[in-house]
Amino acid sequence: MNLERVVFGFVTILALAITYAFVMGNIEFASHHNVWMLTIAILINLVATGLKLGDRSQVGALLLASSLVVDVLLIAARVVWIIAENETDTGPGTQSLVNIISLSGGALVASFVTVVILVGDTLISRR
Amino acid sequence: MATTSELDRVSMIVLRYMRGPIFVLIFVYAVGITGMALIPGVDAEGNPVNMSLFHAFYFFTYTATTTGFGEIPSQFSDAQRLWAILCIYMGVVAWLYAIGSIFRLVQNPHFLLALNEHRFARTVRGLRQPFYIVCGFGDTGSLLARGLSDNWLRGVIIDIDPERIKALALRDYNLSMPGLCADPTVPRHLIDAGIRMPDCKALVILTVDEEINTRISTMARLLNPEIRILCRSSSRRHIEQLKSLGNITIINPFEIFAQLLSMAITAPRLHNFNACLVRNPDARLGEPISVPTGDWIICGYGRMGRWMYRHFVQNGIKPVIIDPKVEGIEGAARIINGHADRDSLQAAGIDHAAGVVVGTDSDHVNLSIVMCVKTLKPDAFTIVRQNSHENQVAFDAARADLVLQSSLTTARRVLKHLISPQVQIFVDYLREQGEDICELAVERLKAMIGEQPPQLWQIELDERQAGAVIERLRRDRPLTLGEMRRDPHDLEGSLPCMPISIVRDKQQIMLPADSESLRAGDRLLFCGTEQGERLLEASMNNAYTLDYLVSGEDRPRGYFFRWLDTRGRNTAIRS
Repeated sequence: MNLERVVFGFVTILALAITYAFVMGNIEFASHHNVWMLTIAILINLVATGLKLGDRSQVGALLLASSLVVDVLLIAARVVWIIAENETDTGPGTQSLVNIISLSGGALVASFVTVVILVGDTLISRR
Repeated sequence: MATTSELDRVSMIVLRYMRGPIFVLIFVYAVGITGMALIPGVDAEGNPVNMSLFHAFYFFTYTATTTGFGEIPSQFSDAQRLWAILCIYMGVVAWLYAIGSIFRLVQNPHFLLALNEHRFARTVRGLRQPFYIVCGFGDTGSLLARGLSDNWLRGVIIDIDPERIKALALRDYNLSMPGLCADPTVPRHLIDAGIRMPDCKALVILTVDEEINTRISTMARLLNPEIRILCRSSSRRHIEQLKSLGNITIINPFEIFAQLLSMAITAPRLHNFNACLVRNPDARLGEPISVPTGDWIICGYGRMGRWMYRHFVQNGIKPVIIDPKVEGIEGAARIINGHADRDSLQAAGIDHAAGVVVGTDSDHVNLSIVMCVKTLKPDAFTIVRQNSHENQVAFDAARADLVLQSSLTTARRVLKHLISPQVQIFVDYLREQGEDICELAVERLKAMIGEQPPQLWQIELDERQAGAVIERLRRDRPLTLGEMRRDPHDLEGSLPCMPISIVRDKQQIMLPADSESLRAGDRLLFCGTEQGERLLEASMNNAYTLDYLVSGEDRPRGYFFRWLDTRGRNTAIRS
């Protein structure tokens, strides 16, 4: 067992889980989506990206790339939320909310790819 | 005119062929257009008007090519219509003549030949990787091309027989191999094949005619004094002639086979190891054949018989020779003049013979002698010469103990010279060291690879082939051969690959120990399994894996954890 792998795996899988928690729910209802969840997902993903810096192997490059994709998409979703926050009393309007959740859904796919690569690499190395 | 290129020839033939039709077309167009422009017409309002030159050309273009748009820009007068009829007949006939000439040109064999040569020369000029020129695409040539293709090397092939070049076009090689149907003794064709290009690594000459082989070699040496030449030759006169050219390797299949036989008699284990290294499908590692050393009979005293005889005598065996034409050979036990058949074999003492060499230049005769020997003395060791690759099935059925197929022997030896010259040096080294060392090496190899056929590969420690190793060595962190060969899945074990030799500073270290430190620029020759090759290559190119192999621990990769790791270590040292 290797400390880096434990921490790294933890952060990566947590990022996937929280993004999923945010996306889950009806795409049209603001009450199904908690903006705090989105913010925490962004923070955890930024930490995950930071941990991936410096790995010069091929797999490392791929992991870094996919987690950068997640960062970009989630931050874009958060920006849309800020702009649309005051559209209705309960938060963003339907159209804006659909955009936010679609972006986060994209991030979810990229997060999933990261986890698949991580698991695959661990299985192949068999140490 | 010494440097007429193929392009010049092609364009010259086209011009010569098209000269007539082009003149006729120009003449017909000129007459038609002039007439059309001079004959007066009438416009829509009935005013007399002359067709402009441009309109006349436009009219003639669509008329002569039988497109026929009608009477443009206005209705023609009768005089114009009369001229138009003339224009149509003249123009159509002229065009038919021109098109017919083009068809005749593209069917002209000389033109096709020139075009082929031009295309071939252009393909070769465009090659950006090392390649080998192969003259002669017979049995040996096609075996060699297959071998080159298996090793991802490119051959450029010249053969005088169009059927052989057609056969080449149907092969599925890993790399495309350009082929030219031409006489390789003509210098222009050798230049087209790229003999003067720096990427041309060697010229291999394998035609059936000794005289032609010698002529190609001489021509090639004049065209490129540096080029390495490998030439098949088995006649003494031609070999002497070839040797004077310098930087030439003469491949004599009969001599090679006789040497191998000699090796099989005196060093059977090495013979077996060598057969496995050259991937002889019949050889199994660690199971040497035993050639008996009793009385031998040689049937046919030609090129093969002569070499076999010489090596038998060297090993203290005095063979009986059966041949219709020879006499007075020193050292032979007995000479029987006549064809090898039941009577002459019995006269030669087949009943107490240990083995028979059947080496005439006819496959049918050879096969019938083998069958005769098998009935007279079933347990005799038989060595038979196979002349044509096509008779493989018949020779398989004859169940001779050793078959000399000269094309196969030649192709294997050429490949050995081109791909891994280190192997021959290694085999010679083992020959000197004796059977015990060889047996140790074979046992070590066998323990590693089991029953799988061994594979040879060569790696140079450079940026491209071993990036991680070079990076490590550049930082002055030593690496031994044993560390590199460790199995990433099990640090106690090692990958199924045995280092055979290291070439360093023009010296070759044989069977290097695991404690040998590696240096940048070393050329390593390995023997092992395909999987071993892949895993070793992965280790040599992944800095993390290599680090793990040496230190035994997975070091952190990211900046953050590396910082944490160094901090932890420093604190541990301080406290």
